[in-house]
Amino acid sequence: METFREILDPGFLLRNSVYVGLLVGLACPLVGTYVIMRRWIFTGVALPQVSSLGIAFAFALHTWLGISHFEGSEQGLALAGSVTATILAILLLAFMERRGKGIVEGRIGTLYALGGAWSVLLLLKNPYGEHGLLDRLKGEIIAVSDSDLIISGSAFAVVLLLLFFFHKELLLVSFDREMAITLKKNVLLWDIILYLIVGITISVAVLSVGPLVTFGFLIIPALAAHSISRSMRQFAIISATIGLLTAFFGFALAYKYDLPVGPTDVALLGVILALVFLGNQLKGLLSPNRNA
Amino acid sequence: MSDQSFLTLTDLSVGYGRKVILSGVNVELEMRSFTALLGPNGSGKSTLLKTILGITPPLAGKIRFSPIQGREPVLGYVPQREAFDTTFLLSSFEVVVMAACGRVGAGRRIPKAEKQRARECLAQTGTSDLAARRFSELSGGQKQRVLIARALATKPDFLLLDEPTSGLDAGAVQLVMDVLKTVHSAGLPILMVNHDLPVVRRYAQTVIWLHNGEALQGPVADLLSRDRIEEVLKIETGA
Repeated sequence: METFREILDPGFLLRNSVYVGLLVGLACPLVGTYVIMRRWIFTGVALPQVSSLGIAFAFALHTWLGISHFEGSEQGLALAGSVTATILAILLLAFMERRGKGIVEGRIGTLYALGGAWSVLLLLKNPYGEHGLLDRLKGEIIAVSDSDLIISGSAFAVVLLLLFFFHKELLLVSFDREMAITLKKNVLLWDIILYLIVGITISVAVLSVGPLVTFGFLIIPALAAHSISRSMRQFAIISATIGLLTAFFGFALAYKYDLPVGPTDVALLGVILALVFLGNQLKGLLSPNRNA
Repeated sequence: MSDQSFLTLTDLSVGYGRKVILSGVNVELEMRSFTALLGPNGSGKSTLLKTILGITPPLAGKIRFSPIQGREPVLGYVPQREAFDTTFLLSSFEVVVMAACGRVGAGRRIPKAEKQRARECLAQTGTSDLAARRFSELSGGQKQRVLIARALATKPDFLLLDEPTSGLDAGAVQLVMDVLKTVHSAGLPILMVNHDLPVVRRYAQTVIWLHNGEALQGPVADLLSRDRIEEVLKIETGA
């Protein structure tokens, strides 16, 4: 209880880290429901890596061009790199998928491997790589400035508003694109809007909590929620609830036991997924229709 | 194009990319017609249907619908029921109410009148009791009737169906076809891809038979007579 009281105190030194964690815990699982429904799970693994590559590349470019680093420019630079790389990658994957040639998983796997490898190489050859960047990419949610929080909060607010207002169109295009065409909907435009929602969410989340935690929050809450939900509304609400609770209790656990926040969150999500799985198995065993 | 024609296809070629599946298709469908689209697997039935619907672009030729009261006709489409991903946790009602997206602007909530319309269409297809059931958990025949309800909820001027009775048992086929017979009797023209010759003979008025990359059109009594079937099959097999 003492830990919770401390974390919830408005004067808590790491309060921005708690807030950014909660934002990621809310937005990523909601976007994750579409990632699951559109069966973009592999893409969900690869894009955070590409986003990291974008951040690393932006910092390397900064160094190569001989521009001196100062605190105010870093966040904007990282955000630009992250968003550009993610959006480019998602549009490229979508374009190649539409052409219908080659193996989809092969392309995504290659993107994942190359994104991860080049991120490390660029960071190792960057004199500023060790200075915060590696921590950022490892999911150490500690130093979150007010400006970081405002940028993340604004981006996630846009994502949530788009999801709320255009839920009907995004669902139609995802469920039955042929029907959408016969209803004269601009399917390409709605697909691009969904790609942008996924891309922005991943970019901003990677910037705040790193690729591992982003992927964890994108997929695991939605997977757990999917197996216990009866409707799309429940699916969205349960996913977001799991994300929010994990972000809060994960931070509390990490703070109390001096653990890195990101990996603690993901481990906690794993426990929740396992509990949901066991609960479903138990329900199946106790179901009266089991032997019918 | 005659006064009575609803849809005219002129020298239409269909296919994917550079691959032509059908070419030189000249077909005219009349108002209030019930037409079956027949042909062997891979003959281009579904591709032709999707081209008419605007889902697949035509490779050449023209597709012309007669305007309905000065506007473009609304096309009600019933796809193959296997096309849907079971990941979506949608109830039958939610599937049917999607039809309102054609009339309700982006970002706006679906009004009560549209929800009422969806309920009426479920009732029309005898699926009111399935409204709250998850769509992915329905049987083939139930899904098919819910999809017909969704197509009706678009307030269509023309109903196009892709293999609506494929894989259904006799009872389910009867239920689906009775629904189609009722809506056709109410004045809705229908174009249906179907393999089932007894069903086509019983319900359809005209047939478009695809063979060797061409389309034959005629009344059911002519095209599905024993002699004519043998003639067409001989052409197809080269016997």
